[in-house]
This record gives sequence, C-alpha cells and structure tokens, in this order.
Amino acid sequence: MSMRNGSAPGKRAPLVVGLLAGAAVVVVLGLLVREFGPGNMGNGVLAGGSIALLGIGAAAWRAWHRPDDAGPLDRHFAGSADERDAVVLTRALAVAGVTALPLTGLATVAIAVGLRWDIALAVLLFAQLAILVVAYRREVVRG
Amino acid sequence: MENEVKQRREAAGLSQRELAERLGVSRQTVNSIETGKYDPSLPLAIAIARFFEASVEEMFHVDA
Repeated sequence: MSMRNGSAPGKRAPLVVGLLAGAAVVVVLGLLVREFGPGNMGNGVLAGGSIALLGIGAAAWRAWHRPDDAGPLDRHFAGSADERDAVVLTRALAVAGVTALPLTGLATVAIAVGLRWDIALAVLLFAQLAILVVAYRREVVRG
Repeated sequence: MENEVKQRREAAGLSQRELAERLGVSRQTVNSIETGKYDPSLPLAIAIARFFEASVEEMFHVDA
C-alpha cells in the first residue's frame, strides 16, 4: 500500500513546464487586453498574472526547501500533496464555488441597477479570492 | 475519533517527521491525525496500523 508522499519533493519538471506555459498565457493575454481592452486592464492582467506565477513558484520552493513551513497549497504546487492536503483544498474550493453563485447574482443585480460593470467585476473577483483565502486558512486550522 | 498514534509513535521513539516519511504523508498530516483534527482515509489508517503492527481497531476508536 502506498500513500502519496507529502514529505518527499515532487517532480519539478511539470511545475516548470506549467509556469512557462502560464507565463506565455499571461503575456499573450495581457498584451491582447492592453491593446484592445478598456483602461489599464491589460497592465492588470500582466501584473496579476505575474504575481500569481511568482506566488506559485515561491510556494513550490517552500515545499521543497522548508517542508515544515509548507502548507497544503505549497505541497500541491510542488507535486507532493497527500490526502489531507487534497481534503483541505477540496473543502476550500467547495466553499468558494458555492459562494460564487450568490456573489455573481449580486454583481448582476448591482450592474442592473447602475453600478459600473468593470467595478462590479473587480469587486466580484476580489471577493471570491478573499473567500477562497479565508476558507483555505480555516480548513488548514481545522485539520 | 480518538487514536493511539501519538502513544505508539512515542513508544517507537519516532518523531512526527520520521513517521510521516515512513507513511508517505506530511508531518502536518501526522500531527492532525494525532490531535484528532483529521480522520485518515481507510488506506492510510490501515497503513498506520500495519506500521505499528496493530489492527485498525486497536489504533482508532470511535468516540463513546
């Protein structure tokens, strides 16, 4: 019987390939939006995407080099998640998924009554991210 | 669910990290199991029981 190894370093090649592919998507998408999108949305895509990719890389580095400080998400990115890590992430994503429905409804109503659509979408995005972060932290503490 | 993991581990002279490495999980997972925050899957519970040469029933107890 074998468990997924939550302590041994995962394979690094898939992460490197994923980060490179992600960087390519961010650059192409960011340049497209900067050219054709409204305002400074393109710069936002480039900045947000870069921060996300850096965060993923930093999380994987922590899982490989400081395993005692690493959390479930770090081990997921490093390819060394175990069953509890999967449970924690699944529960947090479930909370984010369930709350996305009413939040999207609220954003739709807000736009319908006159709120600017770009502001509504930005608030929606950050609200969903905040809920995901809080749900993840709660699940890590819970077990 | 209560369990005997911490007692068995300490009796075996193992740290949480060492047990985690033997079981192929993270140290945090071993800690969560020992403190009763996380109930392991059946395969992991069996692996833990086998590691300590005990039955699953000896290692894990449903709360009274």
